[in-house]
Amino acid sequence: MLKKLLKYEWKDTRRLLLPINLAIVVFTLVGCVMLNTNLFDTELGVVLALCLTLFYTLTILVFSSITTIYIYVRFYKNLYTREGYLMHTLPVTATELFHSKLIVGCFWSALNAALTISSFMALGAAAGFHAAATEMPDELSSLDLPSSIAEIFGYPLPFLLLWMLLLMIASAIFSVLMEYLSVLLGQQMKTNKLAASLVIYFGIYLVIQIVTSIGAMLPSFFFTEEALETEVLFSMVSQILRILFPSMSLFYLVLGIIFYLICRKLLKRSVNLD
Amino acid sequence: MLFPSFLNILKETNMTLLECKNLTKNYGNHTALSDVSFQIDAGHIIGLLGPNGSGKTTLMKLIAGLLGATSGSIYVREEPVGPGSKNIISYLPDHSYLDGNMRVQDIIDFFADFYEDFDSLRAYDMMAKLQINPRQKLKTLSKGTQEKVQLILVMSRHASLYILDEPLAGVDPAARDYILDTILSNYDENASILISTHLISDIENILDEVIFIQDGTLHTHASVDELRERDNKSIDTIFREVFKC
Repeated sequence: MLKKLLKYEWKDTRRLLLPINLAIVVFTLVGCVMLNTNLFDTELGVVLALCLTLFYTLTILVFSSITTIYIYVRFYKNLYTREGYLMHTLPVTATELFHSKLIVGCFWSALNAALTISSFMALGAAAGFHAAATEMPDELSSLDLPSSIAEIFGYPLPFLLLWMLLLMIASAIFSVLMEYLSVLLGQQMKTNKLAASLVIYFGIYLVIQIVTSIGAMLPSFFFTEEALETEVLFSMVSQILRILFPSMSLFYLVLGIIFYLICRKLLKRSVNLD
Repeated sequence: MLFPSFLNILKETNMTLLECKNLTKNYGNHTALSDVSFQIDAGHIIGLLGPNGSGKTTLMKLIAGLLGATSGSIYVREEPVGPGSKNIISYLPDHSYLDGNMRVQDIIDFFADFYEDFDSLRAYDMMAKLQINPRQKLKTLSKGTQEKVQLILVMSRHASLYILDEPLAGVDPAARDYILDTILSNYDENASILISTHLISDIENILDEVIFIQDGTLHTHASVDELRERDNKSIDTIFREVFKC
């Protein structure tokens, strides 16, 4: 039955989320082509570049928000409004319903994150390449990009990409589970279930933001005045970047597991469709 | 091989189809159902009758697995409510519950995919008789037609228990006849139907049993013939007397 649920979940979600993600690919390709022309070399071109950058950033932000909101709304609407009368009378378990939504939700969330980051990287690389090709062609030809990346991030390029992919998957699982957990907790209330779920979501979000902000500030305590004046700084930044991806992935994964276990416990309770 | 399956059929036929034991459902401080117990056997049409807010919909939702009981238990063919019971119960809620963006044919495919007992041919046949284009999106159909589509889907299953919550509400008399005809001509004689309605006179001729619910408690559970003979009145009249305001 899980296969069938996945089939329909995929079919329903792709109507909105596939065009959004395809649009990111198209925007990126068009942007890369435009950045390799002389279109932005004039004064008017700079204004145009600023406008397009603003438009691109806003669009990507909106697409990312739509993905997050849609996954949340879909889970709530499909299971806990009138559509829930159909879904909860299917001969399937609550866990199967949950897993189908979790797998498809995580796929779209991870895909959106991967495409967004790849888009930024591709456009950044295209802009950098064009600038280097026109202003420092000699340096460009002698540039050893993989070694530079390994020096900065502490990983060879393939490992860096692998870590980024793992981080995206872990953060996608975490964010989708946070949404589903807030809906399930909201359903435990007697009244105002949707409002309660939104309050819970933003509450968890706020706590996570505070914890990650404190975590991000921790390395700054090791920056002494001496370190800021010497090349030690470069090495320290490299070390921080080296531990950033594994620690963030682990953080999201552990939270994801905790959220998942709570969700499973809540799913064992009877559904109450008012 | 035939003998054991014959025994299974015999066992299923004699088995109590639905049993509610001391069922109570509270919504906060409000008690919607209180200590309701009854059982239904296979092959009967049962009218679940009661005034507004008496607990009919709550009872049906509990049986369909859409609500959890505060206390008490429900058994469908001796199994608690779960995927097994949902496999043999065909439930029609008192409101629209399908995604309006789906085409009728997609909804038929959906039902056929999940319910082993769903008869797609029967569904298409009934749609054709009503001149409903399966390629149309549900939301483009009129409210009455949408209700008919839902009923067709529910009655296209070869279920053991049909739970129909107010299938006649809000439709014109001609449509009522169609709905009753659809119900009667599509259910298996070994199946049972639990049907709630306020329009008692419209359905009393098809009922085998009635369950009267008053303020969340079971008032009466008896056969229609027994009640008629005892009081020498129609079920509609008895209902009006019992629930007189």
